[in-house]
Amino acid sequence: MASITLKNIKKTYEDGVTVIDNLNLDIKDKEFIILVGPSGCGKSTTLRMIAGLEEITDGDLLIGDRVVNTVSPKDRDIAMVFQSYALYPHMSVYNNMAFGLKNRKVPKDEIDKKVRTAAKMLDIEDYLHRKPRALSGGQRQRVALGRAMVREPAVFLLDEPLSNLDAKLRTEMRSRISMLHKELKTTFVYVTHDQTEAMTMGDRIVVMKDGVVQQFDTPQVLYNHPQNVFVAGFIGSPQMNLIDAVIKKNNDSFYADFSGFNINLPKRMSKYLSEYENKKVIFGIRPENMSISNGNSENTIKLHIEIAEMTGADYFLYGNLGDKKIIANVSSNQNIESEKDYFLKLDIDRIHIFDKINERLICD
Amino acid sequence: MNNRKISNAFSFSFLLILSIIFLFPIYLVFVNSFKSKFNIIGEPFTFPNSDTFVGFENYLNGIESSGLISAFIRTLIITVGSVLAIVIFTSMTAWYLVRVKSKMNKVIYYLFIFSMIVPFQMVMFTMTSICAKLGLNSVIGIIPVYLGFGSGLSVFMFSGFVKGLPREIEEAAMIDGCSPLKSFFYVVFPILKPTAITVAILNAMWIWNDFLLPYLLLGSGNKTLSVAIQLAMQGAYGAIDWGGFMAMLVLSIIPIIIFYLLCQKYIIKGVIDGAVKG
Repeated sequence: MASITLKNIKKTYEDGVTVIDNLNLDIKDKEFIILVGPSGCGKSTTLRMIAGLEEITDGDLLIGDRVVNTVSPKDRDIAMVFQSYALYPHMSVYNNMAFGLKNRKVPKDEIDKKVRTAAKMLDIEDYLHRKPRALSGGQRQRVALGRAMVREPAVFLLDEPLSNLDAKLRTEMRSRISMLHKELKTTFVYVTHDQTEAMTMGDRIVVMKDGVVQQFDTPQVLYNHPQNVFVAGFIGSPQMNLIDAVIKKNNDSFYADFSGFNINLPKRMSKYLSEYENKKVIFGIRPENMSISNGNSENTIKLHIEIAEMTGADYFLYGNLGDKKIIANVSSNQNIESEKDYFLKLDIDRIHIFDKINERLICD
Repeated sequence: MNNRKISNAFSFSFLLILSIIFLFPIYLVFVNSFKSKFNIIGEPFTFPNSDTFVGFENYLNGIESSGLISAFIRTLIITVGSVLAIVIFTSMTAWYLVRVKSKMNKVIYYLFIFSMIVPFQMVMFTMTSICAKLGLNSVIGIIPVYLGFGSGLSVFMFSGFVKGLPREIEEAAMIDGCSPLKSFFYVVFPILKPTAITVAILNAMWIWNDFLLPYLLLGSGNKTLSVAIQLAMQGAYGAIDWGGFMAMLVLSIIPIIIFYLLCQKYIIKGVIDGAVKG
């Protein structure tokens, strides 16, 4: 059991490229933290620095109260699950799981007990004598989890552990890992580029881009109150509609003006928007915060629907507003046809206004 | 379809003829090793009959006359020692050269590759005289010399395989509590086994059969099998015991053939692994 603290962490490779600059994170004990971001954002490097597989150029890394910058991986009390599983191909499943304990000179009967308990939890009891090559992807992944579990580490590090599995297995393993976290009551740090995994599994999520933390908060806060355009676009599927708009003022009310539509902005936003009058902003609304309207009423936009995809409970509607693609997610209790015009009512209580220049949130 | 049949028949016949050309000398040696020495020169191609068949007489004579048993033991020590040294040292070297990226390591790697191109004949006199001065002209002393000659190809083959080995496996071993040396011997080396066996077979074959290096470095004092056979053939001015000579040839190739047959299923795998993943 341990907290993890990253203080002003910097990582510069030998060729002079800095991938992480001034990273600060405070991960509490027993928390399930997700590092998420596009490829090359530094999330795996961060995880590998916590594991001790990458040197830290500058700053302090603490596991518990101990600074571990120069402590070797084996002495950090961590276990890691790799994307490629990294099982030892020449050892049986049993030996793969027992290897770390053998190296630590744990008595044989204790090793046996731990391996069998973990195998039972992960449903791999029947494969203990097999070699990894005789297992399926999902089984290999469970062995990799088991190898980490038996060590009973203070920190679990998982580097995109589900990205090599098919969609069905991924869903199954996702809930299995969440369950495991509940049972083991250990700190988990999990790297993924899949925002669905991030949203469903994490207690808190670190959204990273270009080695910089964009936002570090609970899934609910990230979804409802993204702090910048990147987080707004990255979290949520389909992603938030982000439309260039100009703020206009009429009497005491503020409007967002785009593509010939005037969207009346709520009163609570007025105090943030006064300095943005006649300035460009980014207007953000999630697809599910739009609904079909029967006529042209207030805060409604007219959209030519190019494609209407019925998924069962919902419709995904795709259209263009100027040169911007718009996606709406509406209920399927009425029939919607492609290549027709529809009025979409925007839920103005759920809109987000971002600064056009620095892309930071102005108000939501 | 017809064309294919013809072409198959053609390649079959061609390969058959080629096999006969290669196997015939071995057949001759084997058959003549059972004939009396007077019949070998006169009728080398005939099968032994009741007049010419001498049983194992040639074998017993050959073994007695040329100190074959001590030569056999010497060759065995040299081959086993050299092959072990080559496999252990070159696999570690290749692992280090692949894993630790530096300009120096690149240079060292290319030096290994370069050493494959240098023909032995070019360096044999200078090198053997240096080795003799260094006291390497003994059964044990020749082992490091073979290590040097065998390392080029072996490092090349091992590097090809190590390059294809995911680094995560070693990182997992590090987290599981292994030092670099332990992770090499417990994790990396067992995975390298097919390549290690291939390297062992290829080196064992040439070291076992090598003539020039032991002839120049060890001389007639510490005869290896090939040197012993050569010296036996020189004989006493025309009085060569052809029967004993043939028998010695058969005896000398039997161990290496058995070794090859036991391990040959790994050879192809090892060579391909190195080639493809390199």
